[in-house]
Amino acid sequence: MKLVVNGNSFEVAVPPETPLLWVLREEVGLTGTKFGCGAALCGACTVHVAGKPKRSCVTPCGDIGERPITTIEGLATGDVLHPVQQAWLEANVPQCGYCQAGQIMTTVALLHAKPKPTDDDIDAALSANLCRCGTYPRIRKAVHRAAALLATRSAP
Amino acid sequence: MTPWSRRGFLHGMMVGGGALAVAACGGAGQALRIQRADQTGDLVANLYVTVLATGRVALIVNKAEIGQGVSTGYATLVAEELCVPIDHVDVHYAGSNPAMRTNQGMQLTGGSNSTFEAYVPLRQAAATARDMLVAAAAQTWKVAPADCRAIDGHVVHGTDRLAYGELTRRAARLDVPARSRLKPASEFTLIGKVDRRVDLRGKIDGTAVYGIDVTLPGMCNAYAMFPAAYGAKPSKVVADRARQRPGVIDVLAFDWGVAVVADKFWQARAAAADVEVTWDAGSLHGLDTAKLAASLRAHEGDGASVKDTGDVDAAIDRAELKIGGIYEAPYLAHSPLEPNNATARIVGDKAEIWAPSQSPTIAQAFVADALGIPLDDVEIHVTLCGGGFGRRAMGDACAQAAQIARAVKRPVKLTWTREAELMQAWYRPIYSAKAVGTVRGGKVTGAKVRVLSQSISLSGETMFTAALAALPGPLARAAIKALLAALSTNSFSDILSTEGISNTPYRFDSYRLTAAPVQTKMPVLFWRSVGNSVTGFIMEGLVDELAVAARQDPFALRRALLAPGTRQTRVLDRLEQIAGWSTPAPAGIGRGMARHFCYETEVAQVAEVELVDNRIRVRKVYCVVDCGTVINPDIVRSQMEGAIIFGLSAALDQEITMVDGVVQQRNFDTFPLLRMDEAPEIVVDILPSEDRPTGVGEPGLPPIGPAVANAMYRLTGVRLRRMPLQRAWNERGAS
Repeated sequence: MKLVVNGNSFEVAVPPETPLLWVLREEVGLTGTKFGCGAALCGACTVHVAGKPKRSCVTPCGDIGERPITTIEGLATGDVLHPVQQAWLEANVPQCGYCQAGQIMTTVALLHAKPKPTDDDIDAALSANLCRCGTYPRIRKAVHRAAALLATRSAP
Repeated sequence: MTPWSRRGFLHGMMVGGGALAVAACGGAGQALRIQRADQTGDLVANLYVTVLATGRVALIVNKAEIGQGVSTGYATLVAEELCVPIDHVDVHYAGSNPAMRTNQGMQLTGGSNSTFEAYVPLRQAAATARDMLVAAAAQTWKVAPADCRAIDGHVVHGTDRLAYGELTRRAARLDVPARSRLKPASEFTLIGKVDRRVDLRGKIDGTAVYGIDVTLPGMCNAYAMFPAAYGAKPSKVVADRARQRPGVIDVLAFDWGVAVVADKFWQARAAAADVEVTWDAGSLHGLDTAKLAASLRAHEGDGASVKDTGDVDAAIDRAELKIGGIYEAPYLAHSPLEPNNATARIVGDKAEIWAPSQSPTIAQAFVADALGIPLDDVEIHVTLCGGGFGRRAMGDACAQAAQIARAVKRPVKLTWTREAELMQAWYRPIYSAKAVGTVRGGKVTGAKVRVLSQSISLSGETMFTAALAALPGPLARAAIKALLAALSTNSFSDILSTEGISNTPYRFDSYRLTAAPVQTKMPVLFWRSVGNSVTGFIMEGLVDELAVAARQDPFALRRALLAPGTRQTRVLDRLEQIAGWSTPAPAGIGRGMARHFCYETEVAQVAEVELVDNRIRVRKVYCVVDCGTVINPDIVRSQMEGAIIFGLSAALDQEITMVDGVVQQRNFDTFPLLRMDEAPEIVVDILPSEDRPTGVGEPGLPPIGPAVANAMYRLTGVRLRRMPLQRAWNERGAS
């Protein structure tokens, strides 16, 4: 089957029920998307499918079809980080960092839907993304900062 | 990563003694240094610090980066004394190396001591290299070294300038200065001022390599099937259909479980559905934690004496008010977000392991036991760790991966599931403590605490032989026991279960602390802040009860019990101020405070708590910390924030329970973590200090549970003495 990941096409030979997470990690070779719970309970595996956040650990790859997939590796443009990643750096968000790909992907989707999120919007979007190190206060700060960076970038 | 070879470097560096001391001084060290400079142009300061011919600095960190920021901290210490920008330092994580066993005779990341341990020696190594570079430049220019200065990776004299890279060869041939001057705090340009981390880029762009991301040429993957009943061994395995599935290489039974091995992990995991395993009853058959907790609650009598000052019996006899009760805490799992994993390659009789390990030394021992080979024939490569919290001090996955790799004769990566992470773990011990406080004439006259806990130290033999079947074996047990022996110095020979209150800074007129071990085979382990995670809850709850009984303000009472002019009282004063304690709490908000001293660091916190539909919600936490000299203030803040949230998950909701030897928690639905919508606002204030740096990773945790429980008392009048507090609140009055 063919998958489009970060703008590139990949031909993968896997049964359609195989979770997208493992196809990305083991067949496509992109390990930035992480395995945390295997049951859509932690959000570490979050990727975008056609721009929408998906828990790749429970998404059968056969359900994707032609829809484009974006992973954490696909956010930056060359060496230039995505504004959400930039905000993450500025706020020193990560500790161990293991959950942060999922946090960042969820945030990118949130800011696409709601360019100026309230704290309630952030709670609603990110409360299913777990962080064992407890970086939530910094994530909240970074989401607001990313919103500001994106607003500057898209300003005329 | 740099093009420079880490392995080659390490192999060239097996010189010098154990500690972080400057190893390459004179004698054989000097010959090796010159030889290495001739070969590569690099200036070796010691085992850990090398100025490369490129002018960059290579730093070997003999600790695991588990998120606590050790890589940034160590890089800052070295950059400070070498006078280079922090991004000129390339961090490499040390694999197993006997010369790098700097913590309790081991390579071990734990006890919040990494910065404490390295603060002077790492700076000395860097200062030595700096002085040699300066001397080399002075020699080149035929001027006095005292007239030259090191700035920004260069040595400068008037308008002359030489980059470090131009000086390393010459510097390496010079004698090592007897003593290099360390910068006084007034000259620091990085220590206390750096506000960024060196380990973030890969963690936000997906390129960071954790243990679970390791790939070796020819590698296959293993999925481990574990029993529901802890320690159960497979008695029968039917795997004919599974062996026919695509990619499957083998299905192997071990004492600890069944490994399904395939080219890819997804193939192994899918094939496991076709494996039928019959298990025996397990090593913890019959163990029921609810019954255990009830028996501890009913336990009469004192334990062994740990601390006894004044006449506590007289204080109890004469007390006008006696307060207290039974303080309880459950077993807990660490459950770091990266599941346990290891990658193993066997070549001949030697094993090579890649793993997110907090202790390569213990991992070596686990693997050596599992394969029956000498410890020195096991090499551990330490990867980034997706959290640790103590869990990764164990080498169980390393041993399992090594056994699988030997059986299939290929490199293999073993990846555990979340379910295994919770059900096959090593747990924070259960606690039950009877605490009594006495008041007479409005004054606190005594405190008596009897701690019952499953001792990490004393569990020793039963825990290590029975709990995990064949693992760990004699070498691992010897290693762990040596560590525990090093930690066990008090009369009860178990410093861990009463740490934090055996040395309480409270100056009670009378104080008796006794302790007795709970005898079960449940495997227990260090969990962030170890004994302090519960002893802080016990003592700070008791002191809050005393404040209520004595009709005193909690700050005032603590101040009266503490020596004036100490870290303790300075932190209290500051906390009282920033939390606005003197103004009344808003309506519907309960405010509680607690403090604790551990890992030589004092932390005090105020929690603001409300009840929303009977849910305990912590709105805001104020935290003041005195951890001596601060290397990176933002990392100190992040560790306080992290410890508070980690501690809140445990204080409010988490428990590991066992019914008939089977752990009941399977995933994050039954072992919940605090979430974004419930994470409090956290205000952290760091007291300025020029004392030696002390612990930061763990000390933020102990005060949060009691601060919340004390706040709940202020809010509701109900004293919660049992964690998790939400369950205690839901079941209040029921027992």
